[in-house]
Amino acid sequence: MLATVALLLIANAPSQAQTRAETLRYVTGASVNTLDPNIPGSTRESFALSMSTYDRLVAFGRKQLNGKWVFDLDKITGELAESYDVSPDGLKLTFHLRKDAKFQDGSPVTAEDVKWSLDRCVTAPILGKAQLLTGSLTSADQFKVIDPLTIEVTLPKPDKLALPNLATVYPMIINSKLAKQHATADDPWATAWLKENTAGSGAYVLESFKPGEQAIIKRNEAWNRGSPDKPAFFKRVIIQSVPEPATRANLVERGDADLVVDLQASDVQSLEAKGKLKVISTPQYNSITFVSMNNQIPPFDNVNVRRAIAFALPYDDMFKAALFGRGAPLFGASWPDGKPLNGIYPFQQPVKLDLDKAREYLKAAGLPEGFSTTFSFNVGQASTAEPMAALVKESLGKIGIKVDIQKLPDAQMSTQINEKKLPFFTEGIVAWLPSTDYFYRNFYTGNQRWNYSSINNPDLVAIAQEARFEPDKAKYEEAGRKLNAMHADLMPQIMLWQPNQDAVMASSIEGYTYEFHRQVDYRDVSRK
Amino acid sequence: MRTGLGATMVRAARRLLSSLPALFGVLVFTFLLMRVLPGDPAVFFASGPNAGKEEIEQIRKQMGLDRSVPEQLVFYLSDIGHGNLGRSMMTGQPVLKDLRERLPASLELTFTALLIALIAAVPLGVVAALRPGSVVDHGVRLFCALGVCVPTFVSGLLLIYVFYYLLGLAPDPTGRIDVFTTLPPQRTGFLSIDFLLAGDIEGWWTACRQLILPAVSMALFVIAPLARITRASMLVSLGSDFVRTARSVGLSWHKVVVTYALRNAILPVITIAGIVFSTMLGANVLVEKVFSWPGVASYALDALLSSDYAPVQGFVLLMASLFVLVNLVVDICYGIADPRVSIG
Repeated sequence: MLATVALLLIANAPSQAQTRAETLRYVTGASVNTLDPNIPGSTRESFALSMSTYDRLVAFGRKQLNGKWVFDLDKITGELAESYDVSPDGLKLTFHLRKDAKFQDGSPVTAEDVKWSLDRCVTAPILGKAQLLTGSLTSADQFKVIDPLTIEVTLPKPDKLALPNLATVYPMIINSKLAKQHATADDPWATAWLKENTAGSGAYVLESFKPGEQAIIKRNEAWNRGSPDKPAFFKRVIIQSVPEPATRANLVERGDADLVVDLQASDVQSLEAKGKLKVISTPQYNSITFVSMNNQIPPFDNVNVRRAIAFALPYDDMFKAALFGRGAPLFGASWPDGKPLNGIYPFQQPVKLDLDKAREYLKAAGLPEGFSTTFSFNVGQASTAEPMAALVKESLGKIGIKVDIQKLPDAQMSTQINEKKLPFFTEGIVAWLPSTDYFYRNFYTGNQRWNYSSINNPDLVAIAQEARFEPDKAKYEEAGRKLNAMHADLMPQIMLWQPNQDAVMASSIEGYTYEFHRQVDYRDVSRK
Repeated sequence: MRTGLGATMVRAARRLLSSLPALFGVLVFTFLLMRVLPGDPAVFFASGPNAGKEEIEQIRKQMGLDRSVPEQLVFYLSDIGHGNLGRSMMTGQPVLKDLRERLPASLELTFTALLIALIAAVPLGVVAALRPGSVVDHGVRLFCALGVCVPTFVSGLLLIYVFYYLLGLAPDPTGRIDVFTTLPPQRTGFLSIDFLLAGDIEGWWTACRQLILPAVSMALFVIAPLARITRASMLVSLGSDFVRTARSVGLSWHKVVVTYALRNAILPVITIAGIVFSTMLGANVLVEKVFSWPGVASYALDALLSSDYAPVQGFVLLMASLFVLVNLVVDICYGIADPRVSIG
């Protein structure tokens, strides 16, 4: 010990002053693994990086939700487009590009580049394809160059999600002249090259990139898409991977890191209590944590078993043990006339811990003695899921359901979910464009991975599909109420809560906004 | 002497050759093991919010998993023959490049830790052996027990808490170098050497500061076996006839203990040090995680959790090769420590 002190004292040379105030040091447990977020397997950190290195045609605005800034799905502003028009029938979107926009190599951004980029997104075998599909954007024929600064997008149906889709991560605008130079016969969309190089017009230029360790970006002085005459605030942003959450907490508390969004709930709580740092906690209102039951596997194919489970979970204790109460609960609502309060999904369900009711449901299911099952969660979620699983096991034991807890490595868990082999488990979902019909269409429909509960209900699917193209707001709301009522009745899976995104930052950091991709948009933040 | 050296080299080469079948076995075994594990990497990596069947199929194809296992094995072996270890899905880089960048980090850390451990353990063991049963001996035993009992990540976190968080003496525990320092031109990959070669003393200090805490927390864990084996072997050596003779003819304390007793006692310590080194290299994953050290062990663990086959296979191959090398070096060290021993 003494030797250690001595060594450190000797080694503690004064570190030189840096332009620290103009640098944002962001630490994260994950890492950037590709410079093109479209590559299958790209991480959320890669999404965040691409938001700064590339521009899109449009961007989401922001709004205050309970005093905190969050992205606003209903306010679409121009990014590379100076303005846009939507035709009265909703079938044509016309984008007018900025005249002053330039790529990072100095060449101007033209409608040709936009067309090439959007064509790539719907044609190349990349992630953007499945995303844009949700906005009825499926073919290169839909994008037409009118003149060098105007591009027109035609839609087969007036899809509400077409425009928001163009503001998501994938349809970024690429310097097509540069990318084409690196395209090959096998790879006409230059995916291999773009994975390791950037060719955008974004607010930041990539300075250095060490996969798995760090990425450093520097400000693009010519960028003015955020405010009319200013580039982004920070001159440099260091995005550094620090796998150990306790170390991340230490770094930000000591002032060596400026911003972190993936601390453990317990650390966030103690940092908040100390009051030195700014903690902005936003319920992730586009994500949900579930307890899911496979509706096709006995005994969970019986609706009364699912209802019994829904009334046998110790919600409050789980919420405290897993998240320290940091989130928005989706349980414990009271529906006075037994009907949903509104047509918005996710909603607070009318369920609470009531073991007598749970036993009645079990009896109605013909299983008064209970049964045995397994409850699975993945290692990556262990810090929240482990205490939760113990509580589930204890509480279900009281009504005769014997639960074995199964902790699975992440890849195994996703494989088994995909193969529909898990009877009872906890998982989370996230939707970039959270609208009621989108949730029901993607998470309660079809034999696919994201339909955790494997529910197969034609009525539910029909209502959700119809709602997608419903222009009338009142009718849409009515459809949403119907779907929510079905959810509460069929109880395919149990919504638990929306965990908080706890952004912990130095007190000098301002402008943090909760974004749809659940990462930090480095263009949002500045220092006082 | 020259013939002696030549003979050693020949034997070393023969030894190396004879380990090739074992390496091949490890290669095939790891390959099959990864395929038997129940996780499907394609599903894991197709985790985008909209990734469906199509994406999964595409990743499977990209990773070559759409072929049968024997076919995959043949492709894999021929790739290895061409020096290609495949591509990591996690980092998006060729595995060979990842390993080449990360191995020096692990080696530098492990060497430093082993050096610290040896410097601490050998004197401790000698002192304990000179006064068996005394307070000093018990003190050493207690220290060793503590070192083994406390897992490396606990001692790592404790060291960070005290020296970084409370005292502010240590630099932030994030990797091999302060983020604001510019790296020296890469020659050996060992930062402490590269900085010296570049003549950048200030940078050298920064790199050393980053190295101290992780190396100490790793060393703490391995001091125990090294000190215990030194003590045991010294006891035998001190009780032997030649030491008694040396004492009786009135040789100096230093000559008796260091030249005669320790030189004879060091063989088992070298063996253990070799084993400890190989284990440390693979087992320092927790230290690498705690200190965000960009080494090979944490890389392999992340790959294993996400069923990323290529990096895991590459890592096991690397470890097996290193193990062979380390054993060889240990054997050669034997020859230097005790000329009677020859390797074969």
